[in-house]
Amino acid sequence: MLFGRRKKNPIKLADKGVMEWKYATCSYCSVGCSIEIGLNSEGRAVTTRGVGGADVNRGKLCIKGLSEAQIFEASGRGSEPLIRGKIFEPWQSCAWDEALDKTADEFKRIQEKYGRDAVAVVSTGQIMTEEFYTLGKLVRGVIGTNNYDGNTTLCMASAVSGYKRSFGSDGPPGCYDDFEHTECLLAFGSNLPEQHPIIYWRLKEALDKRKFPVIVVDPRVTMFAQFADIHLAITPGTDLVLLNALAHVILDEGLQDVEYLEQHCNGFAQMRELVQLYNPVYAAKICGIDEDTIRNVARLYAKADSAMSIWTMGINQSTHGSDGVCAINNLNLITGNMGKPGGTSLSITGQCNAMGTREWSSCSGLPGYRQLENENHRKEVAAVWGVDPALFPSERGLAQTDIFPAIEAGEIKALWLVATNPMTSMANSPRIRKTLEKLEFCVVQDSYQDAESVQYAHVFLPGAVWAEKEGCFTNTERRVNITRASQPPFAQSKPDGWIFTQLARRWQRGRAMQWAETPEQTFEEMKRLSCADGVNSPGANGSPRMLDISGMTYDKIERARGLQWPFRESDAQQGKVVGTARLYSDGEFQFPDGKARLLALPYIENNELPCGDFPFWLNSGRVVEHFHTRTKTGKIGNCNKFSPTAYMEINPDAAAEQGVEHMQYVRLVSRRGDAIVLAQLTQRVPYNMVFIPFHFHECVNRLSLGLLDPHSRQPAFKQSAVRIEACDQAEAARTNAAMRTF
Amino acid sequence: MTSMQIFDPSLDKILEQKNSLSVFPVRADEPDYAKLKNVGSQESNCYGGSIPLVTLEETESLRINGVEAIGENPDRNKQHAFHFNADNCIGCHACETACSEKNDLPPHISFRSVGYIEGGTYPSYQRMNISMACNHCDDPVCLKGCPTRAYTKHEEFGAVIQDPDICFGCGYCTWVCPYNAPQLDTEAGQVEKCNMCVDRLEVGLKPACVSACVGNALDFGVVENTPEGREQIATQLPGFPDPDITKPNIRFEQSSSLPREMARTDSAPVKYVRQADGQFKPAIDRKEGTKKHWNFARLSSRENPLVLFTLATQTAMGLFITLFVAAQLGSPALSVLAGSALYPLAILLVCGLTGLGLFMSTIHLGKPMRFYRGFNNLRHSPVCREGLGILLFMIFAGLHLIASLPANAVIQSFVVLPDSVLLTCNSVALVCGCLATLAACTGLYYMYRCYRIKARPFWDHWQSASAFTGNTIGLGAMLAAVLLVPAALVERSDYSALLMVLSALVAVGIALEGIGLLVHSRAMKTASHEGAASHYIQTTTFGKTYCLRNILMGINFLCLLALTAACSLNLISGAGGLLMLLGVAVSIFLVAVTGRALFYVLVIPTTMPGAFFWKNKAFEQHARDIGLADFPQVGLVPDGH
Repeated sequence: MLFGRRKKNPIKLADKGVMEWKYATCSYCSVGCSIEIGLNSEGRAVTTRGVGGADVNRGKLCIKGLSEAQIFEASGRGSEPLIRGKIFEPWQSCAWDEALDKTADEFKRIQEKYGRDAVAVVSTGQIMTEEFYTLGKLVRGVIGTNNYDGNTTLCMASAVSGYKRSFGSDGPPGCYDDFEHTECLLAFGSNLPEQHPIIYWRLKEALDKRKFPVIVVDPRVTMFAQFADIHLAITPGTDLVLLNALAHVILDEGLQDVEYLEQHCNGFAQMRELVQLYNPVYAAKICGIDEDTIRNVARLYAKADSAMSIWTMGINQSTHGSDGVCAINNLNLITGNMGKPGGTSLSITGQCNAMGTREWSSCSGLPGYRQLENENHRKEVAAVWGVDPALFPSERGLAQTDIFPAIEAGEIKALWLVATNPMTSMANSPRIRKTLEKLEFCVVQDSYQDAESVQYAHVFLPGAVWAEKEGCFTNTERRVNITRASQPPFAQSKPDGWIFTQLARRWQRGRAMQWAETPEQTFEEMKRLSCADGVNSPGANGSPRMLDISGMTYDKIERARGLQWPFRESDAQQGKVVGTARLYSDGEFQFPDGKARLLALPYIENNELPCGDFPFWLNSGRVVEHFHTRTKTGKIGNCNKFSPTAYMEINPDAAAEQGVEHMQYVRLVSRRGDAIVLAQLTQRVPYNMVFIPFHFHECVNRLSLGLLDPHSRQPAFKQSAVRIEACDQAEAARTNAAMRTF
Repeated sequence: MTSMQIFDPSLDKILEQKNSLSVFPVRADEPDYAKLKNVGSQESNCYGGSIPLVTLEETESLRINGVEAIGENPDRNKQHAFHFNADNCIGCHACETACSEKNDLPPHISFRSVGYIEGGTYPSYQRMNISMACNHCDDPVCLKGCPTRAYTKHEEFGAVIQDPDICFGCGYCTWVCPYNAPQLDTEAGQVEKCNMCVDRLEVGLKPACVSACVGNALDFGVVENTPEGREQIATQLPGFPDPDITKPNIRFEQSSSLPREMARTDSAPVKYVRQADGQFKPAIDRKEGTKKHWNFARLSSRENPLVLFTLATQTAMGLFITLFVAAQLGSPALSVLAGSALYPLAILLVCGLTGLGLFMSTIHLGKPMRFYRGFNNLRHSPVCREGLGILLFMIFAGLHLIASLPANAVIQSFVVLPDSVLLTCNSVALVCGCLATLAACTGLYYMYRCYRIKARPFWDHWQSASAFTGNTIGLGAMLAAVLLVPAALVERSDYSALLMVLSALVAVGIALEGIGLLVHSRAMKTASHEGAASHYIQTTTFGKTYCLRNILMGINFLCLLALTAACSLNLISGAGGLLMLLGVAVSIFLVAVTGRALFYVLVIPTTMPGAFFWKNKAFEQHARDIGLADFPQVGLVPDGH
């Protein structure tokens, strides 16, 4: 045996010098992991770790959460407000007052000249719920434009729309604990190991304890597809056909839950009539899944005592996104899998607080899942805010994806972007670039001043990031979790909530209203709006309001490591310390009659299909090491190094035919534009498809079409057609390097 | 199964002594999966080694960051191991990142890396991820190879721990390790590696990477203990090097059936093919096609100083031995110059060349000022012995030079020393010369032993010895000829006898190297290891360069035979002969430099598969070429050295 030095030296290990841990909720995706930020003796955030006793992540974090302490001092942080007259002029730094005055003045000028709705606000899923609520109060109650939406239209709008159409309200009914109970899991267009690693781990833990069938529907052989018991390699955009065919088999073979259908569902007859068209023989030809497999999966799902469906962007980002969600809901309603342990329709959400914006930001309605269309709701909110209800429009304005065409058409003249980066995230970026140039005034509020959209701003407002401020996020399973401020905002940056209140005071109307001093006070105001009391009406079905957070306090949330709503004051009074795991367990839905709606969902082929000129499907998605447009992860070496530049996956057989070699650049061309990417040859993708991670600036969205879903207005990012052109390698390398400024 | 009592009161001492919450990271709500399980163990491992390395009572404090207290871990005397389940790994990088956070690593360094291999045809495609760090081997070749004794294998947990404060950054451990575990940080000029998170082990916690695993793929415990929920503890996995090299403490589970061929996405021209016995073996993956290229620019690598070091020292040794031995043998052709003015100059050149070589090898170090640590591990490291041999060679050659001065004709024309002094000097010169010769042979032998690395199959062949010896003989004799022939011309004496002997010697050197190369190329062509891939690169990427080198070698050999024959027939004389000689010398020099550069750039280690970007040599080079590597967050040091 060899032991080296006889007299051993002491061992020296790296010591980051953490002296204190501060509680927070991870600010990347919607899994909602409880995280602790380690502060050194100088109070600097030096590391993070998962919270061991938190139910969501049980001590685990993914790559992004593990390296998250580095986002505070990442390059490109906005250090002070910036201002300029024209977008081609250099930036001047200025005081906060000057930047906010200019913003308010320009908004007022443009609204006076072109009308109230000529100012548009596009927000995010990144900021705290209290800040969303304050932004909504500012936009709906003070600025008064109806063209106000979140970038959640790019990721979750179809889920929201589908939930509303099926159940009468938004709100994911399931939870992660369902994995522990389900007997069959069907995942549509969801690559959990890359997108939501911690949810994947929860699933894996459940599977290690008790095996149940996992079926993954995905055109790519993702790690999840590879680990699935059954992988359905579907033709892009045709999930609705598969879902209708599954329903067809279930009804045809009498496998439906008759009792549940009778007691809790409307619309069965119309739905049944429609799915009769989708026999597996017919469906197989469209969706590319053979008829036997369709029947097999349908039987497996219907016969399971409890079965659940999860989905992500594969469903949402398509022209039938909303219909796809409704069809998943149909499937679960006809099999009686709703609101029971292991039986649910669980949309796996995107951003850390996509749920917060859906619940409280007022962008597609009014706070607490209220609707602009409902007069009572308008009155309730107006009363709490102290504004005239007539200020509220009686129907929703433009969605994010309609705001840009309205700018293009000259109807909108000013745009306020809050923590979103459409230059990289919107489909057809050549068109977005042209659109943004047309604005008379654009203000970008972001933590990172190198976000590409800042190129088109006249004012830049530096926002504080994550635990530089306090507030709540809601996760995919409706869990409200808190982030405590662990350090002061970077340089001159300010919490977004502060920016909103300061801006509000620049309007006469704003000065007349009450604005909370702290996030916790805002939270108290939201609690008042969340429950049915003397001021507020109960839910549409007569039961107490569903999105009820009145039993929560910041301390209770932290103690419980997050509370799932509804968590009513009565729950708190009864001494409950956990929230509500599932919605609709009582079979009561949010339509006035309390029943869910089964919908007849015809499939119309409207995608840009591969053709002779553009023979490849262009599919896009995410990789585990990056978050959205890389403004954070692109600067963190221990994330970015795993994919520091854009690439595409292409099938080696197709590549051979096209003369494309591994690790060489190609130029992809679509009907919108072109993009330079490195080719990665892999059998993970089919012969007629290329796959590109969407995170990179000037890449996949130079090519994508983004046809809109008619209900949710969400773009179909994943279905368009491209062709491959050879390019000069040295020139392409130069271009590629130039695109990667971070 | 019982979890370790991580809050044993005796641990209070550790908690009191530590300076921050970052080391010995104990927390109140520690989940069960992060805790080590105390389940007893076998006595010996599958290699026949003992699992308890000492008795528990014999273990000592690891004195981690000044904490003298000893952990209560009842298994701390036993060899621990990582357990990797390839069926479960999702390639999510959580292990790597948890490690980097724990060890505060810059992006360009990672103690643990995840790569993958893939196979099959859509949609029956399979990707197998491999997460790999240090395997804390039973036979730690890093420890044996390290000249500075920076490595220690501790009885506590069997951890192999490297101390960057001792390391001088030669990178030899990164050559010998088959798993790419030691990481050479060219920015910091030192090596660092996985430390098994011994602080966590001391308090009953699994290493940071294991606790962070999101696929339930990584586990950790006493070696040969099958972890909870696992069925296999195999020592082999497709893509993993032969465990016989180091007896690594890692165990695998891989039960899903894989396609017959698994390819690497990185640029290494290696794939893994299933054999009749179900094991996968490396084979050539013809990624670079079959076309032959020159690629002169790519001959240059961060090992350039070693090209000069080896060639300069070999030439010097050859020159010295040629002159000294010839003088002792009394060869009339060569010994005429033993007493001439040229002899001390030639020996001075020997010392100069050796000095240059040693200087080049020193600047190759990450921390050149620590060069003196290069002799710390004479017991095990061929690097130490090589260095010592060469240093002693230089010293004795120098002493030989001084001692032979009094007898020199030029000196004697100024001073006439008494015979007794002359005799003493002559015997000192003789002894020193013999010692220098001995040191040269020792140095040369260990120089060769340095390259007999199992993790680098292209080098692990006797051809390394024949090339080094051939070069020593050939280059030494060539340089002797280049010095002596002009001197003879100046003195208007006949040099044909001299040139005949020396050309014959050079021809022998070339023949020796040539035979070695021929046998080596045949062996590599048919090998089922990374050496075959190296040979494939040799004949494609550098195909034209390789051909040119071989042809030149042949021509040189023929020229020298012709020269030898011409000399023996007295057909050569005057400046014409010198010109011919110089022509051949230039060609020999080019062949030597090209050959040695090829030797370094061609080697493909047995390291683990990389990914498309991370640990992909071709991408690393590309990122440096286009300036992407200038961004620190790309995780590459802009220029190797």
